[in-house]
Amino acid sequence: MAGINRRALLGIAAGLGAAGIAGCGNSLDAAAARSDDNAIKVGLVIPQAGVYTPLGLDIQRGWDLWLRQHDGKLGGRRVTTVVADEGEGPQTGVPAVQKLLQNDQVDVLVGIVSSATALGVRDLVTSARKLLLIANAGAGAITTGNSSPYIWRTSFTNAQVAAAMGAHLAGSDVRRAYAIAPDYVAGTEAINGFSKAYRAGGGTIAGQSQPPFGKTQDYQPFLSRIQSSGAQGTFCFFGGAESVAFVKQYSQFGVSRTIPLYASGFLVEGGVLKAQGDAADGILSTLHYTSELDNPANTAFAQAFRSAYGAAPTVYAVQAWDAAAVLSRAVAQVNAVDGDRLSKALKGVGVISDSPRGPWSFVQQSPRQNFYLRRVQTNAGERVNAVIKDLGPLDPQS
Amino acid sequence: MTAAARTDNTTHLRTRRAARTATVIAGPSLVLAAAPLYLAPYATTTLTRILIFGLLAASLDLLVGVVGLPSLGHAAFFGVGAYAAAWTAGHSTASPMALVVAVLAAAVVSLVAGSVAVRSSGVFFLMLTLAVGELMQQAADSWASVTGGSNGLYGVPAPSLWGHVVDQPATTYWYVLTFFVLGMVVLRLASTSSPGMVLRGVRDSEIRMRALGYPTTRVKLGAFVVAGAVAGLAGGLLAAQQRLVTPADVGFTTSALALLAVVIGGTGSWWGPCLGAALVIVIRDMLGASIDGHGPLALGLMFVLVVYLMPAGIARFRARRNVS
Amino acid sequence: MPTTQIAVTAMVNGLAVGLLLFIIAAGLSLIFGMMDVLNLAHGSLFLTGAYLAWWLGGEQQTWPSLARAVVAVIVVGAAAGGLLSLMTAPLSRRSHLEQALLTLGIALVAADILSALFGDDVHATEPPPGLGGTVVIAGWTYPRYRLVLIGVAALITVGVYWTIERTSMGALFRATVSDRDMVATTGVDPRLVRVGVFVLGSVLATVAGLLGAPIYHARPGLDTTILVLALVVVVVGGLGSIRGPLVAALLFGQIESVGRAVLPGLASFLLFGTLAAVLAVRPRGLFVLTSGARR
Repeated sequence: MAGINRRALLGIAAGLGAAGIAGCGNSLDAAAARSDDNAIKVGLVIPQAGVYTPLGLDIQRGWDLWLRQHDGKLGGRRVTTVVADEGEGPQTGVPAVQKLLQNDQVDVLVGIVSSATALGVRDLVTSARKLLLIANAGAGAITTGNSSPYIWRTSFTNAQVAAAMGAHLAGSDVRRAYAIAPDYVAGTEAINGFSKAYRAGGGTIAGQSQPPFGKTQDYQPFLSRIQSSGAQGTFCFFGGAESVAFVKQYSQFGVSRTIPLYASGFLVEGGVLKAQGDAADGILSTLHYTSELDNPANTAFAQAFRSAYGAAPTVYAVQAWDAAAVLSRAVAQVNAVDGDRLSKALKGVGVISDSPRGPWSFVQQSPRQNFYLRRVQTNAGERVNAVIKDLGPLDPQS
Repeated sequence: MTAAARTDNTTHLRTRRAARTATVIAGPSLVLAAAPLYLAPYATTTLTRILIFGLLAASLDLLVGVVGLPSLGHAAFFGVGAYAAAWTAGHSTASPMALVVAVLAAAVVSLVAGSVAVRSSGVFFLMLTLAVGELMQQAADSWASVTGGSNGLYGVPAPSLWGHVVDQPATTYWYVLTFFVLGMVVLRLASTSSPGMVLRGVRDSEIRMRALGYPTTRVKLGAFVVAGAVAGLAGGLLAAQQRLVTPADVGFTTSALALLAVVIGGTGSWWGPCLGAALVIVIRDMLGASIDGHGPLALGLMFVLVVYLMPAGIARFRARRNVS
Repeated sequence: MPTTQIAVTAMVNGLAVGLLLFIIAAGLSLIFGMMDVLNLAHGSLFLTGAYLAWWLGGEQQTWPSLARAVVAVIVVGAAAGGLLSLMTAPLSRRSHLEQALLTLGIALVAADILSALFGDDVHATEPPPGLGGTVVIAGWTYPRYRLVLIGVAALITVGVYWTIERTSMGALFRATVSDRDMVATTGVDPRLVRVGVFVLGSVLATVAGLLGAPIYHARPGLDTTILVLALVVVVVGGLGSIRGPLVAALLFGQIESVGRAVLPGLASFLLFGTLAAVLAVRPRGLFVLTSGARR
């Protein structure tokens, strides 16, 4: 036992040694203030492994592109970006944020795809008094209720995107709709956001289903329920691999021929659209962006993005691009890049009128923005989400 | 082994055992207690996570190393403890009472699950416990009104002791370390006590122990509940440190990593599982965050290398397994 | 949609899913039951097969691309099986836990390699002309490929069953499990038998990946999903037999399909609830054969 004991101690010492890369000193004082040169250090938290990796890649591309077009500066200050892997959820995401704050001592955090991670780092960010600009996570609770003054987002709320479709569909001739989304918080928020707006406009929910999240490969049992519900349309919210499986099976089982599919735009955004192939044709969705938007800012952005990465930009890239844009404005207005000053500056940032997504502004630290009705069709040999209609601005909702 | 179990009951041995328990735990604990005085906050935070995960691994080792029951669902009790503590802290009190609730909740759940599980063995025990873990994770996902669903319980209040809020890296570390030591003492007592000796006998030959009149199933269930309760304590500490509990803390990945920490460190050894836990946490949380998403690759390579290149820890394990 | 149609659709679908599940599980059961190796890299083999289907056939397979893919998955599966056999050989006398640690490590490394080779996007692939699209029978719409899958998977199932239970190779496999030394005295190298079982089991997994690609779509994370499903089927079926996993796979196919349709509220709990229930009642699975007795 004594031998093991010694070995164990050695091992623990080795572990501590590894941990000690973080630097010496002690843990009793608050972290020493960094010397305030003119530079700014940004921690970019994005998924680099696991199912959300494509979103992380787009966020990084949007962020990098903005910096490249602005001499690597935010508000006149040179930027160093430290990237950390968010992984698939808070188990990896929270330690990553912790590392950026405590070890790399970044001034600002940007990114975060998973809502659970965003909510999970709330207290960490608040007690560190650092600004966190969320570039994707859509849970309503992130910016409502007991939210942090330091957490802002440039993306959307799940309910907001779904409500845009609910309001639109209620005004169409679809009187009875079926709602389906995975059995997790984002899915529930989407169904509720849709149902509330749809009912308010006079529509009837014919039924709803929440298939197990991340565990459903076969949607046939749910498709049968949709077919026997008497619905005239189906509203859905899926992302990633689930969106491909759902869209393909919706078509393969012949449901799409009688009951058209309507969706939160993530269903058909980015790489998944390519994988869905012709099964996606004609799907109507709502989102606050599409690469096909016809405004000067987007024309320039989309062209630059295509020439840099050889792919159409996505909503995720725009959310990161806009995070850089508003952060730059805020940084330009402060004499020190701490969370309090930056949050105050963001409050006064007003309407951002040169975004590729169209004009938007912060309401309760989350965007009030225009939503677009989009239809999947083929333009110049490439499947895209064409703009059918500008549905006008919506406040963030939860 | 049985002879040892019998002679073990002498007072003399008991005193020696207590003394050895004290040194085995006290020595490293003193070193650990001084850590925040020399380490930067991030290193201290990481070390705190290592302690929590180490306690989980050590509690699992009571099952794997001492009873010979490898569980793939041990995180279920870790998770139950974490949710119970987080819920108590949010709704009632953030004092160490939350940890008591965590331990009790985990003990009750492990009693229920264990009464079914300990009747099977080997790979069937592995899969049955996997099912328990997955069902608990699904419950955590689905019972949103209590667990917060997939977003989990976040913003858990930091523990408070006599009006003092424990939320700094160093104070949180000492808070966790205190209960870590307590948990380790409990595990140590469970494995060296007379029933613990029966457990080792059960591991080596259950049939012989049963023939000798030992209530093997009840003893195994006892070990299952103690392991579950200590895992619940570790979960309670997680809620106190991370101040966030999500379904992933209940599920397969956490269970698998804990099991791997046990195997890496050498099953049945005293500090081994904590060592394995340290390796896993350092690779996943520190290294993994900064190598462009190749964290899983680093973990995978570590598993492969450990199996091939660490005969010492694993050889001990193999020698004992061959007794059966 | 009339109730009978819903029921028929669910059952046919459950059959397709169940047969595919069997092909995956059969490989795992062979390696597990006969060679006593808990191969947690089995899901990676399935995913490799699915990626190969997409890589060689693109989004729309053709008959020549399908033929190339069939050859590719067999070659790659055999090579991977040989490699796995070599890598696990030094561990043959060690515990299941260490084998699990090693093969899980291999699975994590494989996932990283696959991600580097094929990217992290979802890759869907359509079966070749004539096998895709939908069939409509008396107003009943169903994806044609799933019917094809039922046929092909049934053929493979019969083939596997016949090979193990009726051929001399199968007899050799079974004999090696029962008495390794006795096989050696007949002049057959047990190590070759070991490689043979690994190759067969691994090829079954990659072939299942090819067959499953149009339904499951190649993507990161699919390896784990499939592995867990296969483990559940193998354990519920009982170890070391072919019949056990077949019955269990067909059962889980129906549970995933009919169960979810009938009990949507419990959909998330069905898979592991069934596993727990079966093991609580029969702690060693539904079928226990003596030929696959645990050491």
